[in-house]
Amino acid sequence: MGSGEPVKSPIEKLNPLTKMLAIFCLGLATLIYPNSWLGLGIVIVLFGVAGMAHILKSFAKTIFGFGIPISLMLFFIQGLYSPKNKTIIADLGFAKLGEEGLLYAAKIVITLLVFLATFYIMNQTTYAGKMVAALTSSGINPQVGYLILASLNVVPQMHRRLDVIKEAQEARGVETTGGLWARLKAYIPLMGPVVMSSLTDAQERGMTLETRGFANTNVKRTSYIEVTTSKADTYLRAGLIIFLVAVIIISILMRW
Amino acid sequence: MDDLAIEVKDLSFRYRQTTHAALSHVSFSVPKGSFFCIIGGNGVGKSTLCNTFVGLIPHYFLGKMDGDVLVNGQSIIDQSIADLSSQIGLVFQNPFNQLSYTASTVAEELAYGLGNRGVAREEMVTKVEAVAKLMRIDQVFDQNPLDLSGGQAQRVAFGSTFILEPKILVLDECTTQLDPMGADEIFAIVKRLNNEGITVIMVDHDMERVAEYADQVLVLADGSPVLQGAPAEVFGDPRLADFGVEPPDYAAVTQALAKRQLIQDKLGVTKDQAAALVKEGLNHAD
Amino acid sequence: MQIDLQDLHFGYRPEHEILHGVDLTLAGTDPIAIIGQNGAGKTTLVKQFNGILTPTSGHVLIDGQDVTTQTTAKWSSKVGYVFQNPNDQLFLDSVRKEFEFGPKRIGMSSAEIKQRVDQVAELVELTDDLDTHPFDLDDTQKKFCTIGAIIMMNPDVVVFDEPTCGQDVHGDHLLNHIIQHLTAEGKLCVTISHDMKFVSQNFKRVIVMSQGAVQLDGTPEDVFSQTATLKTCFITPPPLTQLAQTVGFTATPFTTDAFVRAFEEERK
Ligand SMILES: Nc1ncnc2c1ncn2[C@@H]1O[C@H](COP(=O)(O)OP(=O)(O)OP(=O)(O)O)[C@@H](O)[C@H]1O
Ligand SMILES: Nc1ncnc2c1ncn2[C@@H]1O[C@H](COP(=O)(O)OP(=O)(O)OP(=O)(O)O)[C@@H](O)[C@H]1O
Ligand SMILES: [Mg+2]
Ligand SMILES: [Mg+2]
Repeated sequence: MGSGEPVKSPIEKLNPLTKMLAIFCLGLATLIYPNSWLGLGIVIVLFGVAGMAHILKSFAKTIFGFGIPISLMLFFIQGLYSPKNKTIIADLGFAKLGEEGLLYAAKIVITLLVFLATFYIMNQTTYAGKMVAALTSSGINPQVGYLILASLNVVPQMHRRLDVIKEAQEARGVETTGGLWARLKAYIPLMGPVVMSSLTDAQERGMTLETRGFANTNVKRTSYIEVTTSKADTYLRAGLIIFLVAVIIISILMRW
Repeated sequence: MDDLAIEVKDLSFRYRQTTHAALSHVSFSVPKGSFFCIIGGNGVGKSTLCNTFVGLIPHYFLGKMDGDVLVNGQSIIDQSIADLSSQIGLVFQNPFNQLSYTASTVAEELAYGLGNRGVAREEMVTKVEAVAKLMRIDQVFDQNPLDLSGGQAQRVAFGSTFILEPKILVLDECTTQLDPMGADEIFAIVKRLNNEGITVIMVDHDMERVAEYADQVLVLADGSPVLQGAPAEVFGDPRLADFGVEPPDYAAVTQALAKRQLIQDKLGVTKDQAAALVKEGLNHAD
Repeated sequence: MQIDLQDLHFGYRPEHEILHGVDLTLAGTDPIAIIGQNGAGKTTLVKQFNGILTPTSGHVLIDGQDVTTQTTAKWSSKVGYVFQNPNDQLFLDSVRKEFEFGPKRIGMSSAEIKQRVDQVAELVELTDDLDTHPFDLDDTQKKFCTIGAIIMMNPDVVVFDEPTCGQDVHGDHLLNHIIQHLTAEGKLCVTISHDMKFVSQNFKRVIVMSQGAVQLDGTPEDVFSQTATLKTCFITPPPLTQLAQTVGFTATPFTTDAFVRAFEEERK
C-alpha cells in the first residue's frame, strides 16, 4: 500500500469506497459487454487516470509486463486449440488459428487488465488506514476492519523486522552483502524465526488492543484518518452506476 | 466498599505451562485517589499483578487463578477487558507491546483507543495534538511508531493510555527509557492527575521516585507481599535489603550522617526532607 | 583500540538529518557513558561504530581504518553492539545457540567456543538457563542473554545500549561487575544509559548528547556540575548530586561516603 505522498493527486483524495466502486463497475461492465472494445477503451482511459495520479510509469510497467505475456499465452492456447473455433483465419500447418478462440482470449485478457489496472491504481493511491477507516465508517464490523488492516500491514512489518534482524545478524558476523548465494545463505535460516516472532508479536499485540477497548460493543467506531465524500465522489459514483446500468442494457439489446 | 479503587483478595496465579506460582496469596487494597507503589526485584510478580487489574489476567493470559480482584467494587472475573478499559488504563513495561500495529503514524497510534470509543473526529484531533505536545512527541507526529527511539516509543505508550482519561492509572515501569527530565515531566503530570482525584498505581525500580510520590508502598518478594506502609516506614525497615530492594540514596545518606551525629536522627526519604535535615545540621554546627 | 569520529553526519532519510557533525575520539579502556535526551541520536551514533549505519558524510575510523572499507560482519569481531531492544537481536531457540552463533561466524575454534560459553554464562548469570528458549526468559534476563552473545565474540570494544533499563539492584550490580570484568581484560566499554546514579558511579568519562550533537564531554564531576547545559540536554544530575546542589555544597558527590565527606568539608 502506498503511504500518503506529500502532494496529493485528485485520485488520492477520492474516497476509497469510490475507488472500490470503480473496480466493481468497470470490471463488471467489461465482463458483461459482448466484445472487447469497451474494455480496451476503459484501459486507455485508465492510462489517463494513472497519469493524473502521477504513477504512469509504474502503471504502464505493470500493465504491459502482465498484459503482453498473458495475451500471447492466451492467444496461442485459445486461438489454436479452443473447441469454439469454427472460422479458420490461418492454417499454420501443425494447427489452425481460429477466430472465435482469439476473440475469447481477447475478452479474458481485457477483463483481467481492467481489474488489474483499477486495482493497481487504487492500491497505489490509497493509504491502507484510510481504506479501513472508510469501510468501518460505512458500517463493516470493526473486527473485520482490523483483520483487513492487520493483513495489509503484515508485509511492511515483516520487511521492517527483516531489516532489523539483518542489522543484528551483521553485528554478529553474518555476511548479508555480496552475491545472491551469500544473501540466501544468510536469510534462509532466519525465515523461521521471523515468522515465529511475527506470531508472538501478534499474540502480544492482542493485549494492547484489548486494553484500549478493541472489543467494545454498541459503539460506532470513529477514526483519526479523515475520510471525506466530496462532490467529485458523489458525481463519480453516480456516473459509475449509470455507466454500469447503461452497459447492461446495451449488452442485452446487442445480444437480442 | 465505595472508597476502594482496587481490592485484591487472597490472589494467587500461575501462568500456564509453568510450575512456579507468579503470585501467591496476595491481599491488599488501594483507596480511591491514592498514589500506590509496588516495588520488588526482577521477576517477583509486579507486572503479573498489573495484568490482573486490567483483566488481562484471567481473560487474556491463560493460567490458574484463585482469589479475586475488585476494581471499583466489581470483580474482574465478571467484567470483560473492554468493560474494564473504560475505568482503568495500563501503561506496559515494554512500550512496543503498547503499539496497536494498525497505525502508520504516531498520531493514529495515539488516537486508536478513542476510535474504539466512538469519539468524534474533531475532538480526537484536538486531544491527539494536545497529548503529543505534552509528551514532546509532536516532532515525530507523522513518523511510523515502529521507527521511534526507545524513549519516544515509551512516550507514545504513555500518551496512548493517558489520552483515554482512565480513573485508575496503572504504570508498569513506564519511564525506564526516558531521559531524566522527561521522566520528571511525566511524573509531574501523573501527580497533577492524582491531585485531581485519579488513583495511581505505579511499579518502579527508582526508589527516589517512589519515596517522592507514594502514599503507600507495597514490597513484593517471590510473588507475595512482604512489607507495606508509608515510604518512611518501608524504607526505614532493616529487612528491606533481604527483599532485594535498596532504599533511596537520600535515606542512606541521612542515616549515615545521623550515625555520625552530624544531623538529627531522622530518616529523610525524599530530597526535600533530606535537604532540610542537612541544612539544619549545617546550621547547628555553626 | 581507538575509534575516531570526524565531522560525522547522518540521516535515516536524506531530508531529515539526525546527527549534525559529531567529532569524538574514544580510546583507552576507561569505560565511557553516553547520555542525553530521547531522540538525541545516541543509538544512531553507536550504530556507526561497526558500520550497521554508515555516515552520509564524515568518517568513522577504527584504529585508523575507515569503517566503510569492510562489512559490519568483519568489524563484528572488533566492535560488539548490544541492541537496545533484546527482541531485535535474539532469534535462536536456546541461550547456548545464541552464545555460539557469533563466534562460529567469525571463525573461533570450537574448543575456544566451548570454553567461553561456560565462562560467559557464569559472567552474565545464565549458567542454569543455557538450554532455555530466550523467549522464556524475562525481559532483564533477555538483556543479559544479548550481552553474553556479544561478549562471546570477544570484541575489543563492547557497546551497551541502555542495559540498565528495568534492572533491579542486583541487575545493576551485575552490570557493574560485567563492565569491570571487561575493562580488566583490556576492553573498552561504551554504555548508553538514562540512569544517572549508574552512570556517575561506573564511568570515568561521560558524553552528553542533545539534538544530534555532543554538548558535554568530561569526567562525571565535570559534567554533572554544569547544571545549566545539562538542563538543555534534558539531564538531571544523580540524586545525591542534586541534594548537594540544593543545599549549596561546592563538591559534586555521587556516593553516600562522598556526600558525608562533602558535609564535613562544608561544616568547617
Ligand atoms: N507470559 C508469561 N508466561 C509465563 N510465565 C510468565 C509470563 N510472564 C511472567 N512470567 C513469570 O512470572 C513471574 C513474575 O513475572 P513478572 O513479569 O510479573 O515480574 P516483575 O516483578 O514484573 O519483574 P520485572 O521487574 O523484571 O518487570 C516470573 O517468574 C516470570 O518469569
Ligand atoms: N529506523 C528509523 N527510521 C527513521 N527515523 C528513525 C529511525 N530510528 C530512529 N529514528 C529517529 O532518529 C532520531 C534519533 O533516534 P535514536 O534512536 O538514535 O535516539 P536515542 O538518542 O537513542 O533516543 P532514546 O534515548 O529514546 O533511545 C529520533 O528522532 C528517531 O525518531
Ligand atoms: Mg515487570
Ligand atoms: Mg536509543
